[in-house]
Amino acid sequence: MIVKAETAPYVEAFAQRDGTDEPHWLAARRAAALANFGDKGFPTRRQEAWRFTDLRPLQRAAFPPVSGDGSAPFALDAYRCPGATHRLVLVDGKVAPALSDLGALPEGAFLASTAETLAEAPDLVAAALEESDAQGNQPFASLNAAFFTDGFVLALEPETVLERPIEILHLTSAGAPRSHHVRNLVRLGTGSRAVLLETYAGAGAHWTNSVTALHLREGAALHHARLQDESAEALHFAVNRAHVGRQARYRSFVLTLGGRLSRQDMLVRLDGEGAELALDGAYLLRGEQEATNATFVDHAAPGCTTRELFKGVVADRAHGVFLGSISVRPEAQKTDAHQLNKNLLLSRRATVDTKPELEILADDVKCSHGATVGDLDEAALFYLRTRGIAEGEARRMLIEAFAADALERVEPAALRAYLAHHLQAWLGRGEEGGR
Amino acid sequence: MSSPATVKNAETLREVAGEGYKYGFVTDIESESAPPGLNEDIIAFISAKKHEPAWLLDWRISAFKHWQRMEEPHWAKLRVAPIDYQAATYYSAPKRQNAPKSLDEVDPELLRTYEKLGIPLNERAALAGVAVDAVFDSVSVATTFKAKLGELGIIFCSFGEAVREHGELVRRYLGSVVPQGDNFFAALNSAVFSDGSFVYVPPGVRCPMELSTYFRINAAKTGQFERTLIIADKGSYVSYLEGCTAPQRDENQLHAAVVELVALEGAEIKYSTVQNWYPGDAEGRGGIYNFVTKRGACRGAHSKISWTQVETGSAITWKYPSCILEGDNSVGEFYSVAITNNLQQADTGTKMIHLGRNTRSTIVSKGISAGRGQNTYRGLVRIQPKAENARNYTQCDSLLIGHKCGAHTVPYIEVRNPSARVEHEATTSKISEDQMFYCQQRGLSQEDALSLIVNGFCKEVLKELPMEFAVEAQKLLAVSLEGSVG
Repeated sequence: MIVKAETAPYVEAFAQRDGTDEPHWLAARRAAALANFGDKGFPTRRQEAWRFTDLRPLQRAAFPPVSGDGSAPFALDAYRCPGATHRLVLVDGKVAPALSDLGALPEGAFLASTAETLAEAPDLVAAALEESDAQGNQPFASLNAAFFTDGFVLALEPETVLERPIEILHLTSAGAPRSHHVRNLVRLGTGSRAVLLETYAGAGAHWTNSVTALHLREGAALHHARLQDESAEALHFAVNRAHVGRQARYRSFVLTLGGRLSRQDMLVRLDGEGAELALDGAYLLRGEQEATNATFVDHAAPGCTTRELFKGVVADRAHGVFLGSISVRPEAQKTDAHQLNKNLLLSRRATVDTKPELEILADDVKCSHGATVGDLDEAALFYLRTRGIAEGEARRMLIEAFAADALERVEPAALRAYLAHHLQAWLGRGEEGGR
Repeated sequence: MSSPATVKNAETLREVAGEGYKYGFVTDIESESAPPGLNEDIIAFISAKKHEPAWLLDWRISAFKHWQRMEEPHWAKLRVAPIDYQAATYYSAPKRQNAPKSLDEVDPELLRTYEKLGIPLNERAALAGVAVDAVFDSVSVATTFKAKLGELGIIFCSFGEAVREHGELVRRYLGSVVPQGDNFFAALNSAVFSDGSFVYVPPGVRCPMELSTYFRINAAKTGQFERTLIIADKGSYVSYLEGCTAPQRDENQLHAAVVELVALEGAEIKYSTVQNWYPGDAEGRGGIYNFVTKRGACRGAHSKISWTQVETGSAITWKYPSCILEGDNSVGEFYSVAITNNLQQADTGTKMIHLGRNTRSTIVSKGISAGRGQNTYRGLVRIQPKAENARNYTQCDSLLIGHKCGAHTVPYIEVRNPSARVEHEATTSKISEDQMFYCQQRGLSQEDALSLIVNGFCKEVLKELPMEFAVEAQKLLAVSLEGSVG
């Protein structure tokens, strides 16, 4: 095999990896996934899905896949969600039992680390690995399959209802650059419901490479919010693959505040008739940050609904990218899908690329998409100033109102408040938009 | 650069060509075609046939060299049967005794063919005040109203004539908007273009009539490679109409045109197209492959370029009329209706590149898919860092008729300046049953109802067409959608 230069450190690390105590099937899948990664190499800008992404920060250094021992001390207060009663904390890609508190889980609910699950219920871990790891066009997901050691697994039996939010904290500690590959699984049985909050935060110039598989069976409902608030040097790639069954509801929100280079790939397939999807997010970027939100919604069954709203605030020399694709298969009649991406450009050197895409092969559909890019509304700014509000404060208010708009549909209120709090913290960190 | 051997070859060919046309007048239009295939000799043959200066031959050869290094693009959402570029014929000219001096001298067979297509050349010229530079296959055969335009200093002629008579103008602007190596099909065109139209409007002149060219493909296995160059000098205005029809044909024909527009300070160019090449039969056999590069440069401040297109024909359409808004306060517009029925495929849209301050662009695209047609809007709006206060508004609507067709929207929006305001909206829906029901219960037949609704859907674009074109376009929409309901 010819090893591409940029993949070499990872291919070598894989060869040296100690996987002797792993089951045979897992070792085989890891090897296949690594082969796919080695074969595909890093994505390039010649690939349509990556044409706006500048991977140089990732190529400049090697990030050896080393996970922590899960014992690093951390002050969690800043990232605790009030009202959440089930908590799982990962430090440097490894579950830290001392910081976690699973609370009282009802019957039929399973929440554990991926490492533990591998020992207790290996079938669940197998479900988190998809065929596409070994063949697909997501080389980083393949890399993740080769190296993951931990993550979280949430599995609910049919009709199990978890009322209180589950919070998962992915924290990184300072130190030499390394990569953390976490593999997560969320499986909701028929009619079950859960609220899930994930936070990625910490220090250091690490590469977090996470892959999450979500399976929602008939009538299941998941509220899923994610906050990415990593350090300004961190790299963050996340692939979320969701399969939403008949009459199931999946509401996803991702708030991107941190990271030097980050990318969220959200692939959702609406498999069953009448499935509902809300796919929302906001990204607030400053400095040299670059963030991509790539969503691919596949309407594979009739009568499904998609509502998608992404809002971007891009200041300084930051670069915001939105790639939104909605495809409707011929059999997916009565599809109702709407997508909107709005961006605020706050500085002369800030850039935005947006590509909302529709691919429609059924006729009885209602689909639309929209995208806007612009500056703050001068008239609104003027209005606030005539009311005696200082310019900086007026700008802050307008930016907050713009971004908070996307938050409105986040449920339950505890999650919305949590995200709003971090949004305000970001705004408070400095007057962005030096023009 | 061409080798000495090539030049010598070209000279020999020029001698051969010089003694042609000795067989006199024949009623059947025989084309004098080049042998199939593409190489430097063929290019030299074309150039020699057209009595072109050396610089143009060099230019063609250099384009050919670009082309040889390029790969056919496959990024569009199109299924294209492999094209054998060596099997096509790259030159075909109707035979003629002498260049016709008036309509009376034009081959009557040719005029009858136009009549069948519903283009009464002489009537149109007289009644509608339209000067027609008709291209039959590859060489212009009739140019009217030349004198009238000449009084104003407007040059409107075939491209070949322009090369001979206005070589300096052509040399200055040719390839300045679409360079030789711009893309695969533009490079191919640059190497082998046969003829086309040339327009130059001098400073401050408002062209008093719509300039119009009707293109037609006639000889079998002949690709058409028109080259159009329109230059509007400072403060001038010109409206140009382009219409295409082609007779039924079994084999796919390649059509790779290049259109370049240059608008200098304060100038305005309005370019309207009704494209109705043969789309293939209901089973998708035959039909034209239409791979066109159209681009306009708003070079001067306050200039404007407006593209309006009605695309109903061709088996495959690959076409993105674009505007490069260089001048401050310049304006770009794109209005499009694209219909795909049966097995037609269209991947069309525009690019608006904002470079100057206060530049504005508007995009209105209406896609209609019926039968098993696939219709894609693909567009780019790019605001460069120096384009202060740039504005763009884009609206793409798709209408689906039947459940086997597809409508796709692929817009790219790239903004590099915070003062820009860019808006994009797109919708896709099927034809409303309520509207159909309403029309039918008022006594309209199903097809009339469909035609009425489709015309309403396209109204924003159709109103941009010059009057005589608008009428034709409405009829065309109805004809194109025949048999798509029920």
